[in-house]
Amino acid sequence: MDGERDRNKKVLVLVDIEDLEITSTTFELLGMGRKIAAESNGIVSGVVLGQRISKVEDKILPFAEEVYSLDHPLLETFNPELFASALKQLCQKVNPEVILFSCSLDHLDLAPRVACKMNVLLVTDCIDLAIEPETGYLLCTKPIYGAKIISTFKLVKKPYVVTLRKKTAEPAMQANTKGNIIRFTPVLDEASIRVKLIEKVKEEGTRLDKAKAIVAGGRGIKDAEGIEKLKGLMVALKKYFESVELGASRPLIDSHLVPSFHQIGLTGEKVAPELYIAVGISGSLQHLTGILGAKKIIAINNSLKAHIFEVADYGVVGDFEEIVPALKRKLEEFQ
Amino acid sequence: MKPLQIIVFIKQVPDPEGPADAFHVDLNAKKVIPVGIPPLISPFDENALEAALRIKDCHGAKVTAISMGERLAQPVLKKALAAGADDLILLVDPCFKDIDNWSTAYVLSSVITKIGDYDLILTGRQASDWDFGVTGLIIAEILQIPAINLARKVEVNDDNVFVEKLCEDGYEIVKARMPLLITVSNELGDLRYTSVRSLQIAQKKPATIYHANDLNLDFQNLNIRKIHNLFQFNDKRQCKFIEGRSFQEKGENLALMLKADGVL
Repeated sequence: MDGERDRNKKVLVLVDIEDLEITSTTFELLGMGRKIAAESNGIVSGVVLGQRISKVEDKILPFAEEVYSLDHPLLETFNPELFASALKQLCQKVNPEVILFSCSLDHLDLAPRVACKMNVLLVTDCIDLAIEPETGYLLCTKPIYGAKIISTFKLVKKPYVVTLRKKTAEPAMQANTKGNIIRFTPVLDEASIRVKLIEKVKEEGTRLDKAKAIVAGGRGIKDAEGIEKLKGLMVALKKYFESVELGASRPLIDSHLVPSFHQIGLTGEKVAPELYIAVGISGSLQHLTGILGAKKIIAINNSLKAHIFEVADYGVVGDFEEIVPALKRKLEEFQ
Repeated sequence: MKPLQIIVFIKQVPDPEGPADAFHVDLNAKKVIPVGIPPLISPFDENALEAALRIKDCHGAKVTAISMGERLAQPVLKKALAAGADDLILLVDPCFKDIDNWSTAYVLSSVITKIGDYDLILTGRQASDWDFGVTGLIIAEILQIPAINLARKVEVNDDNVFVEKLCEDGYEIVKARMPLLITVSNELGDLRYTSVRSLQIAQKKPATIYHANDLNLDFQNLNIRKIHNLFQFNDKRQCKFIEGRSFQEKGENLALMLKADGVL
């Protein structure tokens, strides 16, 4: 079937790299790329930017018909100005139908610049994409108004540039194609860098996006003792779930009881665990948009009127300081 | 030395924390119609305004807040003056209705060109209505000035601006010269408190109003956003409430229910 595909109709998938590792989101992008390529009778082309990137290329190749390798000393670390310039040069050469970015902070910094340089519009934070059969235009589905409304935008001028929200597409399966690696060397000038990196400061992170269970706290958690109760519950859950993480809604972050990388919501992580336990979280829309993918949601809140109960599968009304330790004890007793 | 000229773009949006059923969808017009919820300044734009005011506190600066729309609520936007902005410019015209991101950035960059004299442009990381997060970067592309996305701290030191920029595993300290555009994230901090009295005084200050004809625009560049479909999202689940004679018993009953339902 792939033999009939038009190799000039390319869906470019930008490989997202973090700490020299390909992110899991990249494989979701490749999965979505494959669907779009099938709908437009085109092919998936992975795009890798960096220096000495052959290992990355080899890992992407089984998932795409071809991989563009933009190997350049100035692309060793992410720089939005240089990356955008390199991608523009690639696009001018290969004339792609679609360019797929992730919603990582790097890609969100990059996609608008690339779209603008190519004189096209873009749609960010998409949860689904489809080619409109009659027209060949790209339909981009995206939550708006804090996920109260779902919109579908239409992109009509190629290349269609989109960023895809994580956890919204199935990761790609390996393709049965003999892919090839195509080297493309962009012309880049160090003197063109206008924003200079002085220092990169790493902060301790979480694996929220990979967690199977999340215990999250909100405004209802008033002190460090409350946080300890949540952590106690996390320990008990580790008997049932291979990875358990601590999450937080924005008020808890703003109270400085929990560092900001625990934030879940519109501007924090978007998560999709098997189990999400929301403790003292009222359920603002900015938070709820981050937990749409959770399989089961448990809400513990002292107000029956809290919005969180509307999206929860299980609800407990009352004082978390008593409910959470009791839940923990019981979970430890089982088996 | 001439004071720094700082421009902050503030968008008027319906209160993002308004209840879900207050957002109606008019499918024929392909529009979202907020019903009974007040407009306010988009929260991230308030963070951007706060960044500007902190620079003004340190170095002195002239801060100009600019908003664009088909119709704008002056009393809401004058909060920017109450917080400490020196000027408020409103871009109001029927032809700004429902225009796409690029067109919006084009109109906003045209007012900057009209002002001419500027050092820093600040915007929120994204607006709380359409959540695109692209307008700031596109303005910088149109003006051909450098841009830094997602700032959590902004400091000016002579001609250089030092910014802490969010990244996935921490932050980067970056440096650039002005003129420069920066998009600001909530980590920078909330807009300072504005007293009722300062809000009342601000209401009496005039806002400058520009219409499309004042801006030297090529009207062919103003395009309506192409919406294919809109629908209300309903993620309501059937919540099983756990009962018990005490909070402790509720906690234990929850564990039993999760086990019985195979959630564990």
